[in-house]
Amino acid sequence: MFDQGQPSYADVNKDVLSSMLETGPRYWVLLGTTMSVAVICFFMPWVYQLFVGIGAAGMNRNAVWGTYISNFIFWIGLSHSGTLLSAVLHITNSQWRKSIYRSAEAMTLFSLMTAALFIMVHVGRVWFVHWTFPIPNPMGLWPNFRSPLMFDVMAITTYLTASSIFIYMGSVPDFAAVRDASTGLRRRLYTIFSFGWRGTAKEWHTLGWAYTFFAVFVIPLAVSVHSIVSWDFALSIVPGLHHTIFAPYFVCGAIYSGTAGIVTVMYCLRKFLGFEKYIGQVHLDNLGKLLIALSLIWSYINILELFSTWYGGTSFEIEALKFRLTGFYAPLYWEMILFCAFVPLLMLFKKFRLSWNKMLVISILINIGMLTERFIIVATSLPRKFLPNAFGFYFPSWVEISITIGSFAIFATLFLIFIKWVPAVSIYEVKETLKPLRRDA
Amino acid sequence: MIWSNDLSTFVEKLKAYSKPGYYDEFDYHWTMTIDLDRCTGCEACVVACQAENNLPIVGEKRIARNREIKWIRIERYWEGDFPDVKMGFIPMLCQQCDDAPCETVCPVFATYHNQDGLNTQIYNRCIGTRSCAIYCPYEVRYFNWFTYTWDEPLEQQLNPDVSVREKGVMEKCTFCIQRIRIAKDKAKDDDQRRVRDGEVVPACVQGCPTEAMVFGDSNDPEAKVSKMMKNPRGYAVLEELNTTPSIVYLKKAHA
Amino acid sequence: MAIMGTFVFEEDFLAAAENLKSSGFDNISLLSPLPLEEAQEVLGLGKSPVRRFSLAGAMIGGAAGFAMCVATALVFILPTGGRAIIALPSYLVITYEMTILLGVLFTLLGFHIISGLPAWHDEPYTESAGIDRFVVVVEGTDGEQAARAEAIIRGAGAEEIQHVEEKS
Repeated sequence: MFDQGQPSYADVNKDVLSSMLETGPRYWVLLGTTMSVAVICFFMPWVYQLFVGIGAAGMNRNAVWGTYISNFIFWIGLSHSGTLLSAVLHITNSQWRKSIYRSAEAMTLFSLMTAALFIMVHVGRVWFVHWTFPIPNPMGLWPNFRSPLMFDVMAITTYLTASSIFIYMGSVPDFAAVRDASTGLRRRLYTIFSFGWRGTAKEWHTLGWAYTFFAVFVIPLAVSVHSIVSWDFALSIVPGLHHTIFAPYFVCGAIYSGTAGIVTVMYCLRKFLGFEKYIGQVHLDNLGKLLIALSLIWSYINILELFSTWYGGTSFEIEALKFRLTGFYAPLYWEMILFCAFVPLLMLFKKFRLSWNKMLVISILINIGMLTERFIIVATSLPRKFLPNAFGFYFPSWVEISITIGSFAIFATLFLIFIKWVPAVSIYEVKETLKPLRRDA
Repeated sequence: MIWSNDLSTFVEKLKAYSKPGYYDEFDYHWTMTIDLDRCTGCEACVVACQAENNLPIVGEKRIARNREIKWIRIERYWEGDFPDVKMGFIPMLCQQCDDAPCETVCPVFATYHNQDGLNTQIYNRCIGTRSCAIYCPYEVRYFNWFTYTWDEPLEQQLNPDVSVREKGVMEKCTFCIQRIRIAKDKAKDDDQRRVRDGEVVPACVQGCPTEAMVFGDSNDPEAKVSKMMKNPRGYAVLEELNTTPSIVYLKKAHA
Repeated sequence: MAIMGTFVFEEDFLAAAENLKSSGFDNISLLSPLPLEEAQEVLGLGKSPVRRFSLAGAMIGGAAGFAMCVATALVFILPTGGRAIIALPSYLVITYEMTILLGVLFTLLGFHIISGLPAWHDEPYTESAGIDRFVVVVEGTDGEQAARAEAIIRGAGAEEIQHVEEKS
C-alpha cells in the first residue's frame, strides 16, 4: 500500500501534523482567493436577491425550480462519498480506506453545509424557514410531516448531525496528537477538543464500538437521504419526474459523483500537502474500480428510464422525453451521457486508471456530467408538464450562474479551513496499517 | 384538539383520521361549471379577477419572461390555418381539486383543504418553497417573484377585502373566498340559515358576458350548478390524473 | 503513586500487561498510539455497554418520531390532498430518520459516559504514548506493591520507568 516504503509511527505523526502546523504563503493566497470568490460570487448576489425577490433568478411560471434545487441535489450527492468510504468500507474492514477516509468525511460534511445554504437561497421567504422545524411556538402551528419536503428537512438535519458527530468522534485521538505537538493557545484548544484523550485500552475500546455503531447508523441514513431528496421530484405527478426508479437513480448517482469527488480531493491533497507517501496507487486503483462499477450501474438505470418511458407511450411522458433528447438542452443531455457513461469506461484500462493526472481529468468530467444531469432533470421536465398551452422554457440568470460558481468556492474555503484544523489523514488508522515494530527485525 | 375527549371517542377519532378522505362530507362543496360552447375568449373574467383580488400589475417585460400572475387565464387551442381556423378557449383556473397534489407537498401547511371543499392558500404561512407549483398539473399557481407595487392612483382601486401579497409568496384562485365568507356571515346573521344558491358569485362568474360560468354549492341538489354538472357534455380537465377537480367543463359542441 | 512503564516494542508491552494482570494488579491502564485488540483482551473488555445506549436511542427515537408526527397532525386537522390525517407511509419515513438521529445522539452520550471522557482530572500520561511508544500505567500502588509492579515492568524490557504522584 505504501509506494515509497513503510513509514515509522513517528514519521506518520510528523508528516500529518506538519501539514497542519506549518503553513506557507501559498495557503493564505489560496484561502484568500476562495473566500473572496465565495463572497463576491455567492453572498453578494444572494443579498441582491433577498432585496429584489426571487425574480432575480431565471425561474418563471413553469420552471419554478431551477439551478438552486439542481445544485442542492448535486451537493447532497457529493456528500455520499464520505459515507460510502468511511462507513461502508469500515464495516467491511478494508485497509486501503484508512488514509483517505478522514478527508472524504470532511467532504461529506462540507457538501451538506453547502447544500443547506442552497435551500436558504432557493426559498422565497428565508426569514420564515424555521417554520419547517417542529419548534414549539405560540401559534401552535407545526410543519406538515406528510410532505416530501419535510422528509427532506428531517433527513438532512439527521445527516448533518450524524456526519458531524461521525467525523468529530473519529478525530478525537488525532486531536490528542495535535495537542501533544503544539503549545500555547493551540494546545489549550486541542486539550478541550480531544476531551483529555490518553489512548488507554478502555478509551480505544469504547471509541471503536461507538464508531462502528455510528457507521452502522450512517449507512442506511445516507441511502435514505438521497432517496428522500429524489422523492421531492418523484412524488409529484410531473411527467419525466414521476418515476419509481428515481430513488435508486439518485442514490447511485450520488455515490458515483461523490467517489469522483474523492479522486479530485485526493489529487489535491497529494499535490498540495505532500501526502504522496500515504495516498498511492492502491487507492487510485480501488477508487477507479469503484467508479467503473458505479458508472455501469448509472448507465443501466438511465437505459431503464429511457426504455420504460418510451415503451409506456403516455403522451405526456413522450413529450417530456422528446424535449429532453432533442430540445434546446439536448447538447447538455448528450454531454452528460458522454461524460458519465462513456468517458469512465476508459478506466477499464490500467493506463488510465493508475495515472493521477488522467484520473483527475476523468473525475472532474464525471462531476461536470453529474451537475448537468441534475440541471437536465429540472430544466427539461418542468417546462413540459401537462397542458400544452402552458409549456415554457427555462434559462438560468446571471445570479444563478454566479451563485453556482460561488458554491464551489464556499466548499473549497471550508475544506481549506478543515485541513488546518483537523489532521487530513487519520494518524491512528494509518498506524493500524503499518507492520508493528518487532524486536528481532 | 381531541385530547379533551374521553378515551373511546379519542380512539374512534384516531381511526377516522387514519382513513384517507377524512372529509367525506363537505359543509358546502363549492363547484363551478364552465360551458365551453358559450365561452368567446373575451377575457372579461381575467380582468374581473384582477380587479377583485388585487392582482399585481406585473408589466410587459416580466410577462414576456413568463412571470405573469393571472389567477384565471384563457388557454387557446386551434386547429388549421387561416382562414379555416377552428379555435377553442378553455378558461383555466385553480380546479380546487379534492385530491390536490399541491396540498400534499407544502412543508408548512400553507395550503390545505378546508371544510368547504376549497383548496386554500394562506399567504402569511407561505415560505416560498414553490413545490406546490411543481406538483400542480394545471399550472395554476403563481409566485410573487418581486414585490409588486401600484403607481398612484391605481392603489385606490384595491379591494379592501383581499390582502396584498409580498414577494416570496405563492397565490392562486380562491373562488373569491372573501365573497363566500361575506355570504356565509350574512346567512348566519339572518337566522342561521344556509347560503342560498346565487348569493355567492365570484368575480369571474360575475364578469362573464355570456354566462358561461355557473357557480354554486353542489351539496345542494336544487342548485343550478348541480343540474349543470349532470350535463352529458361534462368532463374534467386531466381527470385521468385522479385529482378530482371541482370544476366541470362542458365540452364544446362541434358543428 | 502510579508507575508508568514505557515500551518500544508492542510484544513486550503486551507481555508486561498480561504479567501484571495475572499477578493481581487491577488498576492498570494500557496506553497505545493505535487501538490494540490484544490489549483490550488482556483487560477483559468484551462487548462494550455502548451498544445498549445505541439500542435505547434507536427505540426511543422511533417511538418519539412517530409520536411527534401523530401529535402534531392532530393539533389542527388540516387535510391535504385527500390523504389520511395519520398517513402511515409518510410518517414511516420521518420515524426512520428520527430513529437514526436519536440512535446516533444516544451512542454519543454512551461513549462519553462509558469512556469517562472528557477527563476532568489530570491522569498519568506521556506524550510519546501518542506517537510510537506503548505505556503501562499501574495506579494506586505503594511501597511493596509498587516495587513488585516495577520489577515486572522492568523484567519485560521497559525503555523507561517513571513514578507519578497521583492527584485524587
